[in-house]
Amino acid sequence: MFTLGSVLDNELKSSVEDFSFETEFSTNQLMLPNIEKPFEFAQSIISLEKDLDENDNQPMFHQQKKEERKERALIKGSKGTTTLAFIYEKGTVVAVDSRATSGQYIASQSVQKVVPVNQYMLGTLAGGAADCQFFLGHLGRICNLYELRNNEKISVAAASKLLNNILYSYRNYGLSVGSMICGYDTRGPQLYYIDSDGSRLKNSLFSVGSGSPFAYGVLDAGYRWDLSKEDAIDLGRRAICAATFKDSYSGGTVKVYHIDENGWVKISDDDASELWYRYEEKEKKNK
Amino acid sequence: MAGKNCVAIAGDTRFGVRNQTVALDSNRIFKINNRTLFGMTGLNTDILTLRESFKFQMNLYNLEEEREISPKTFAHNVAQTLYSKRFGPYFITPIIAGLEGEDYTPFLCATDLIGAMEFPKSFVVAGTGEESLMGVCETFYKENMEPDELFEVISQCLLAAVDRDALSGWGSVVHVLTKDGITTKRLRTRKD
Repeated sequence: MFTLGSVLDNELKSSVEDFSFETEFSTNQLMLPNIEKPFEFAQSIISLEKDLDENDNQPMFHQQKKEERKERALIKGSKGTTTLAFIYEKGTVVAVDSRATSGQYIASQSVQKVVPVNQYMLGTLAGGAADCQFFLGHLGRICNLYELRNNEKISVAAASKLLNNILYSYRNYGLSVGSMICGYDTRGPQLYYIDSDGSRLKNSLFSVGSGSPFAYGVLDAGYRWDLSKEDAIDLGRRAICAATFKDSYSGGTVKVYHIDENGWVKISDDDASELWYRYEEKEKKNK
Repeated sequence: MAGKNCVAIAGDTRFGVRNQTVALDSNRIFKINNRTLFGMTGLNTDILTLRESFKFQMNLYNLEEEREISPKTFAHNVAQTLYSKRFGPYFITPIIAGLEGEDYTPFLCATDLIGAMEFPKSFVVAGTGEESLMGVCETFYKENMEPDELFEVISQCLLAAVDRDALSGWGSVVHVLTKDGITTKRLRTRKD
């Protein structure tokens, strides 16, 4: 299938003298299998329900029947998640749940959906877990090399652009990455949304995953640029908690991170259900 | 689940549309009479329709026969009603639990959506989390449990299975039926 060995080999081989952008951030490192119609095979390997729902506007090789594709999928994708991030005056808040489902079976309640890129940048994981983990880890390596070579920290905009270009080159391979690159650099708190379709969007708040509509409801209602640190963290936590309650495919634990000029810090890690009961009690007391 | 001269039915109370949870208090377990409990899973509209349909049929039975229906007869009635819609079925999986006869022997019955009955001696499961439920029940079930122990076991089975199924949870209810009556308790489940 995909050979990962070639990635590491390439990086080790490129020495300082031979430095060039082509080998440094070389994009075609993951090989396709040597069969006819490799793209079709690559895309049919993993079945994620969202891919199978829309048959409109698909290129030629996508026009197989839904059922055929589902049967041929060798990996049953586990998805279903809620991740959110927003920037405000004092930094960036990132909040995620920790459930992975394959179909309706809860595969795990303890997935790490936040991957540190470096000390002041976090990436979130949504869609294919392996895809996100690999590419965010790869991004971390690239950022590290950049820092060593240029003696300055890479900006969030540049890091997200690098990842975007890499993912764009794997555009039709059937990857599924819906990641947010969140950080704090010389321009202040920054947030970019990166997609495996090749989109890169900049905004002050994002939510990704099956539970994102429910998280947006709470997030949009409470968001202001001039929130205090405590209120911002609470907003992120409440939004994920609401999403875990409403969405069946989100749940587990709610993890909240905060990024400011000193780097990222994990603020809290609460059980989603316990949090919900706690909020319910608080509301009753307030009434 | 069946115990010693007692039966228990437990179920969750979530009503959802695909991934979204809409209501937390949808009751799917109904009392037919003092000897019979009837639970259903599946399409909510069919559950509501059949609840009314069976209530109507049981009322008529009581008036005509001038006695309470036995669980076994009720189970056959359910199967008959479901098969009558063989080519346009109700999308439900019913479970009937009751105490049969003078000596209150436990009676369990499960059918599929078109009325194929089976009468297991130990436990029956149905719903989106039925595979998880089957596993947990198989592990924790033992014969001739007293009502208190039966309540503990069935509660733990339900909670464990429901935590592994994304589409179940958000509240649950357990009914234990003995010759003295029905005790109903609500369990605190995960709300995610």
